[in-house]
Amino acid sequence: MPVYSVSRRRSIAILALTSLLLITLDLQGNSIVGGVKRLFGAIFEPVQSSVRVVTRPVENAWNGITNYGDLEAENQRLQDQLDQQEGAFIAALATARDAQELLALNGIDNLADISSVTAQVIGDSASNFSQTVEINQGSKRGLRVGMPVVNAAGLVGKITWVEENRAIVLLANDVLFGAPVQVVNQAEVLPPVTSTTTSTTSSTTTTSSTTTSTSTTTIPRTGTTVFGASTILPVSAPTTEDFSGINFDRLSTTTIGTIVTIAPGSTSIGPTTTVDINNLPAAETGIFRGRGLGDAPIVEFIDQNSRFGEVRVGALVFTSGGSSSLAPRGIVIGRVIKIVERTGTSGAVLEVRLTARLQSLNFVRVLLYQPVATVIP
Amino acid sequence: MISLLNRPVTRLFLVGLLLLAVQTTLLTEMKFFGVIAQLLLALSITAGLSGGSESGALAGFVLGLMFDLVLTSPLGLSALVYAFAGWGAGYFHSRTLANPKWLDCVVTGVLSGVATFTLAVVANVIGIEGWLSGRLVKVIIVVGCVNALSAFFLVPISRWCLVIRRQERIAPPAELFL
Repeated sequence: MPVYSVSRRRSIAILALTSLLLITLDLQGNSIVGGVKRLFGAIFEPVQSSVRVVTRPVENAWNGITNYGDLEAENQRLQDQLDQQEGAFIAALATARDAQELLALNGIDNLADISSVTAQVIGDSASNFSQTVEINQGSKRGLRVGMPVVNAAGLVGKITWVEENRAIVLLANDVLFGAPVQVVNQAEVLPPVTSTTTSTTSSTTTTSSTTTSTSTTTIPRTGTTVFGASTILPVSAPTTEDFSGINFDRLSTTTIGTIVTIAPGSTSIGPTTTVDINNLPAAETGIFRGRGLGDAPIVEFIDQNSRFGEVRVGALVFTSGGSSSLAPRGIVIGRVIKIVERTGTSGAVLEVRLTARLQSLNFVRVLLYQPVATVIP
Repeated sequence: MISLLNRPVTRLFLVGLLLLAVQTTLLTEMKFFGVIAQLLLALSITAGLSGGSESGALAGFVLGLMFDLVLTSPLGLSALVYAFAGWGAGYFHSRTLANPKWLDCVVTGVLSGVATFTLAVVANVIGIEGWLSGRLVKVIIVVGCVNALSAFFLVPISRWCLVIRRQERIAPPAELFL
């Protein structure tokens, strides 16, 4: 039974070949493909907006039915987390300011200098494979392809498509996402110890006299990194400060560096800073790559650096910046949760847990950052 | 103007646009076990079931292309897979004298699963790694089941799109007499 005629086969073959041609053109970054996408986007946007208005109540009802239990549990968990973070946040503010001043002093770019645009997530990816979200800001507000997108927790992704009033963000866990990163081992957090600092203040009077005061402080041991807890004790009035109320274990969740600042009892030249160079956590560089929804993102091609030592679980992962990197230096990505050793020279693969929760994004910030290599004078 | 609206391609484009909007708004929120149903794929298959392999392939190509235009995946990837899914459905249709509704649902479900798997394989071939993962099994099962159920209302819609009248529908497929 002749089910297919020659012309029928030919038409199917033409469709298949056209598809392959389109795939090839798109993968080569052909500008015509971009133009067609933009044109279709312009036609589709009003339809999508109208349908969104109509379907919003249905979506809300569905979410109310299916997610109520999860929301309740999440609310409880977030409340606990909020309590934990409160103390750390206050301490972090002080050190963040110090860090910004230092960066500015040394002429190093920092995130606070970069302008940003706040956008709301208005849609998820319609595909089961691509990890993208749609945001409600576009080229009208200065957004460009490649700009990094963050939220309060850290890196969310990067812009991959821009229209006048909307943009598509490729999430950091998508298989197409990649970025150069730094991995910073966290110094070990040891139980706090009590140390006694003795200081001497001299006064020049007719009769020379010496006053000795003792301040007792509870500080983390050397090597503990306290980001945000640069504890500078009062200088002029030697007093006894008791830090036993501060839980340094909690503070250590937001730590970088091993700079422990302890004010001396001396009133002569102000506080001194003790930096233990040997214990500074060196930064390793590698390439961060998403692996889709089901799998944790990874960092691979870690440089072999003897100074770095062994990568530990819990190490922090930041964007490393650079003249050609699309993201500036210092955006938090996540923490290492697993280290997979590989044989040969390929080095270890680090599995990373992202700090930003990509499944429940609402507001995000687009950093209006373009690397030096792509800025047109 | 009316004659233009009565053309299958115009109807298909308009219905596709509407379904694409539903796909990118409502269905991205209404996930089933974390998986998004693929309405455009289901419509491509039901177009093949209603109108035969050629119509199915053409519908699949158009709908897939529209889907590709709003995704970040390469343009033409979904068009290729959906066209083959529509063609496969038409091939099945030409082998049967009459499709009961339940059979349409089963075929839509099975072909949706096969097309989802094929999509991941083709993506892998063209260099997009990561789509072939353990989660794919879950995606195939859920997409297959949801699309099978959606065939109940998509078969009449695809008949309307392809301007298939009742007499043509109940008559045996033309391929039988070739």
